[in-house]
Amino acid sequence: MHAVQCMHLLSRHLLLFLSICACCVYTCTGTLYAQDLAGIAVHGFVSQGFLFSSSNNYLTMKSSDGSLQWTDGAVNISDSLGENLHVGIQVHMYQLGEFGGSNLQVDWASGDYRVNDRFGIRAGKVKTVWGLFNDSQDIDAVFLWILLPQGSYPIDHKSFYLAHVGGDVYGALSLGKRAGTLHYDGYAGQATVDLNDGYIKQFADIGLVFTNSLGGKTYGGDLRWETPLRGLTIGSSGDMQAVDGTAPTGSVHSPALFTPSMYAQFSRGKVYLAAEYDREPVNATITIGSAVLPFVVDGRSWFAMGSYRLSKKFQAGSYYSHYVNKAADTTQPANYSKDWVVSGRYDFNSYFYGKIEGHFLHGTNLGYYTSTNPNGLTPNSKMLAAKIGFTF
Amino acid sequence: MSKARFLILLLASLGSWSAARAQDIVLVANQGVKISEITNADLRAIFMGTRTRFADGSHAVPVTLKGGPVHEVFLKTHIGESPEEFRSEWRKVVFTGQGAMPKAFDSESDLIEYVGATPGAVGYVSRISSQNRVKVLAAVK
Repeated sequence: MHAVQCMHLLSRHLLLFLSICACCVYTCTGTLYAQDLAGIAVHGFVSQGFLFSSSNNYLTMKSSDGSLQWTDGAVNISDSLGENLHVGIQVHMYQLGEFGGSNLQVDWASGDYRVNDRFGIRAGKVKTVWGLFNDSQDIDAVFLWILLPQGSYPIDHKSFYLAHVGGDVYGALSLGKRAGTLHYDGYAGQATVDLNDGYIKQFADIGLVFTNSLGGKTYGGDLRWETPLRGLTIGSSGDMQAVDGTAPTGSVHSPALFTPSMYAQFSRGKVYLAAEYDREPVNATITIGSAVLPFVVDGRSWFAMGSYRLSKKFQAGSYYSHYVNKAADTTQPANYSKDWVVSGRYDFNSYFYGKIEGHFLHGTNLGYYTSTNPNGLTPNSKMLAAKIGFTF
Repeated sequence: MSKARFLILLLASLGSWSAARAQDIVLVANQGVKISEITNADLRAIFMGTRTRFADGSHAVPVTLKGGPVHEVFLKTHIGESPEEFRSEWRKVVFTGQGAMPKAFDSESDLIEYVGATPGAVGYVSRISSQNRVKVLAAVK
């Protein structure tokens, strides 16, 4: 019964958008393959998720009752204007509990001029390359996992980390047959916390209601070595990010802070292995009325994951995600989140897929909000997630 | 038949089967492409989108079949990916705004026609005829 009510909560705009995504392409062409209309390529995806937790409401959904308030959709259009210039735009709409909504958001919109394979420039609203998955974390169709490791890629804050308005330089340098290839990406710009992001809700929960987006300058880079051992990539990223915002009742100020990431992944044949270590220090000041509150976090997170393709259609895997706030008492469940995950994915064909995932959660630092857990949180819980989706 | 002879015949037949599978793939390129042979490493870089130029510096336009055994053998033999991983890697590129997926064709005849008409195009088919206005590239390790 509750699931049906949740479905009704989905905005009519959102459903309309998703329907248009699917129907437009299908009726125009009779197939769901990526469309190339006189050189203009159109791609898209939609997915519908379900979340049930043994206790605690996760990600602002009433997950302890079972919730379907999890819908995603995006469409992009791109074209190559000559050999070196590529332009495109992707619009995205999502509903995740109280996050997202009916408004279309520009996921990325950029012009990309590749002078040669060693040097290119990308400008506009550009996905931020950081760690293994930051720029692709919202593309459900490419992952086995329903939820990526939340210590590194918190889904309720993705709108802040996903992209920046500015520019990137990028390229690949061949180191010779025996040394592999070095890929680099450097960027600078402005990153913004959307009003429907999790940070805004966390501030609202303590009485700081923002009516304008907050954000700040960001710059950073990523260096990854595609080693001579085929399938093995090792890399490191770093990001500097400042955040400032003013609300009617106060403000937030965070000076530019450095967020590093180190990672490795191995992908060959049916096997995929990956691991990443990240650190996110925060030293912000929150002002509410005349009260000035220090907000200090030293977030340390890492994950290790592995998967195996059992057949063309079925893939299974597992990961462990670990997050702890070293600036607080790490023995308290509110200051850590540890998650054992088991996942399975079945591809019905090239376009339609289904996923199922079990989570064994310890600690309550990530993904929980006071307003949707008014009776407090239990330190350990289990969660079942399921998703269906299609992409073209 | 002795066990040894049977084993030799079995290995020989497996060997000829492998060779036949390898020979199923003909690498084709636009006649304006200057190179006549290409390494698997270069093919992988071009078809995975990390390189946009042939070894001689000219622009490369990779094209693929949408599916089928020729597509699978090409990806496995020359790119080292399964069709599922190949598709997933390209989706990551496309949905992050970092590039455009190679143009894909339902049939080999459509692919050959496109390669013949598009400067820098490179693709693969199971066979070509003398009427096809494309160039055959030799794959080297």
